[in-house]
Amino acid sequence: MGDSHVLVRVPKLLVYRSDALPGLQRAPSLAVFPGTRTELIEVVRALAAAAVPFVARGAGTGLSGGALADGITLLGLHRLKRIIAIDPLARTATVEPGVVNALLTRAAAPHGLHYAPDPSSQSACTIGGNIAENAGGPHCLKYGVTLDHVLRATVVLPDGEVLTLDRGDVGGYDLLGAFVGSEGCFGVVVDVTVRLTPDPESVVTLLADFTSVRWAAEATSRIVAAGILPAALELMDQATIEAVESSVYAAGYPRDAAAVLLAEVDGAAAGLDADAEAIERLCRASGARDVRVARDPAERARLWQGRKKAFGAMGRVAPHLVVQDAVVPRSRLAEVLDDIAAIGARHGLRICNVFHAGDGNLHPNIPYDANDADESARVHAAMKEIMTRCIAAGGTITGEHGVGLDKLPYMEQLFTADTLDAMCSLRDVFDPARRANPGKTVPVRACREWHAAAAARPQAAGT
Amino acid sequence: MTPLASGVVGPRTLHAEFPRTTDELATLVRDARAARAGLRLAGLGTWLTAGHPVRAARTVSLRAMHGIVSYHPADLTLSCGAGTTLAELDEATRPHGQWCPLAPPGTDLTSTVGATVATASEGPYAAALGRPRSLVLGLECVDGTGRIIAAGGRVVKNVAGFDLTRAMTGAWGTLGAITAVHLRLRARPVVDETWAIRLPSSDRSALEAYVRGPLAPLACVRHQPPNGESGDPSLFLVRLGGNAAFVEASRAALRALGETMPQPPDALDAWRAFDDPPARALSWRWDPIAVRLRDRFDPDRILNPGLLGEPA
Repeated sequence: MGDSHVLVRVPKLLVYRSDALPGLQRAPSLAVFPGTRTELIEVVRALAAAAVPFVARGAGTGLSGGALADGITLLGLHRLKRIIAIDPLARTATVEPGVVNALLTRAAAPHGLHYAPDPSSQSACTIGGNIAENAGGPHCLKYGVTLDHVLRATVVLPDGEVLTLDRGDVGGYDLLGAFVGSEGCFGVVVDVTVRLTPDPESVVTLLADFTSVRWAAEATSRIVAAGILPAALELMDQATIEAVESSVYAAGYPRDAAAVLLAEVDGAAAGLDADAEAIERLCRASGARDVRVARDPAERARLWQGRKKAFGAMGRVAPHLVVQDAVVPRSRLAEVLDDIAAIGARHGLRICNVFHAGDGNLHPNIPYDANDADESARVHAAMKEIMTRCIAAGGTITGEHGVGLDKLPYMEQLFTADTLDAMCSLRDVFDPARRANPGKTVPVRACREWHAAAAARPQAAGT
Repeated sequence: MTPLASGVVGPRTLHAEFPRTTDELATLVRDARAARAGLRLAGLGTWLTAGHPVRAARTVSLRAMHGIVSYHPADLTLSCGAGTTLAELDEATRPHGQWCPLAPPGTDLTSTVGATVATASEGPYAAALGRPRSLVLGLECVDGTGRIIAAGGRVVKNVAGFDLTRAMTGAWGTLGAITAVHLRLRARPVVDETWAIRLPSSDRSALEAYVRGPLAPLACVRHQPPNGESGDPSLFLVRLGGNAAFVEASRAALRALGETMPQPPDALDAWRAFDDPPARALSWRWDPIAVRLRDRFDPDRILNPGLLGEPA
């Protein structure tokens, strides 16, 4: 593989000590970057022979600390970026795990197709990482999450066994369904065949302007309950609008709005205007003071730029940003948002909300300075209260970013010991030695068998 | 503990036990495990033969665990016991303009949610409205070791932890006996109409292009006569759904393909009743990883032993 693709020296390894979650840093002891699928399998087999734990990493855009290698080997997959085949007739693509999400869509574009899952980090994140996290994105309201678009995957299990997994549709367990979203704890994707989606005939994008976040949340509920299935339904609050409009990503959002709702309908041209008119009517009935429709692709792209770059725009506010990822039933969005605002005020923090309202998938974001111990402690306390509140509302702790290290403490609030134990059983089917991404996703003390394996784990390194 | 209710289930009049709670079922599974005696799992007992004989002396029906536990129309989500029939779901959701588009072979009166999810059986609306694997948000089950597992959740997006819901869905009860299910519902279309279409030739490519295109219908199925004959290969039943403008355009596209005849709203369901019961178990694949999965959740082969033609 060449020395340049194996890092052993500390200064170079420090580059990989964090992913997109600030506040948690763990440095690997070794980093390996295979360049071909054969090399990848050989590396995994070598790690198995040495009984060494490892963490697979794509672009490192994860927001839950899931790709951190704590004194163990980091297996970087970004060099495996070959689009192996695109079959326009079958509407599928077979790709290596390091292919960047947006580049797959670009490659499919000449065929009138695209790869529908579009996490907001899609210009950098990789398909392998998307599979590990079962990533979503603004358009998964209509088109579904990563799992809905993955047909088949060749994977290498941590013991070196190479398998093809599918959805079990023709008689078999849904092993692919179990694997997708396993956060790198079940094995490593060698290649994957995904479904490509035809480009819509037509798209209508609307921006509704509200003087109350509560009203915007209520409009969301009304739109979905009315039976309209928008391609996307995204809510941004005042703090987010302010951050976006003050940045280079300014999208023309009304700066004095308490919230804006970005709604998009797409599909067949026939009937699309009727859906758009219904959305406008429901927004106005929920208290919107204005609803405007993007007149052309350029205006639509500008409206979306604000949404997709909102996290980046928050970089102006403070040096670090925590992007949280809870889900609540749609009908409870308004009350939970009120409570989140109260939690922020109580801890003296500015909480920006930008999220997939149509799914009830909240992203309360807190810009802060991770080097300020007092502020970090307050952020931590606020996040804990927000998570507890979302669980109490009948929700969950992650809709698309994964548990990683960050949300591990909440798993026992959400699941019984038996269920967590069963999750460990599922992991053992793929990785009984628990060498792949150890210590993530499911808390170890719930696993009866874990304690024996824990003794074999290397001591934590890094900060 | 009070003795379990028992009685007869299914057209083959099997004697069955009817646990009323998940705890009762868990006790029953643990006892069976201690005695190394297999349990045949059933709902209403209509899909008992999936191609292989079940090697179990006792039958457990989940029918007593029926009823809707919670329904939030504004969220389009519903939770119910595994023994709930699809007809019961339809009755509850229809007044709110919603439905659960699981439509497995058989009738809604005899299909239970538990059996539909356990077999991942899908019907004509799967491509347009979602397969069982995407409509099930979470479930509760008792695995072969007696663990009560509450997998997934009740919200439409959820990646917390390893995905036991997907593993259990379509596992034919061999990993766990499903006791409750959390479902995502769909809104009923504003305009909903069903047509029969007779293609002018045996060439289906134009119809396939229509079904794969932007004006795709909710469902398109080939004619299935009730007497088990092969049916008319040029005759299809097509259900259109959406807003008025969409359905109008879709109807026009359909009419361009052949002679169309209006049908009653329940025509597709009537055809569905004559479909074969699920027989995918016959082609079940037992590769080493499938065996490992079974080993982790039902090491003593208590649940539905033999149903999937498992290697000895």
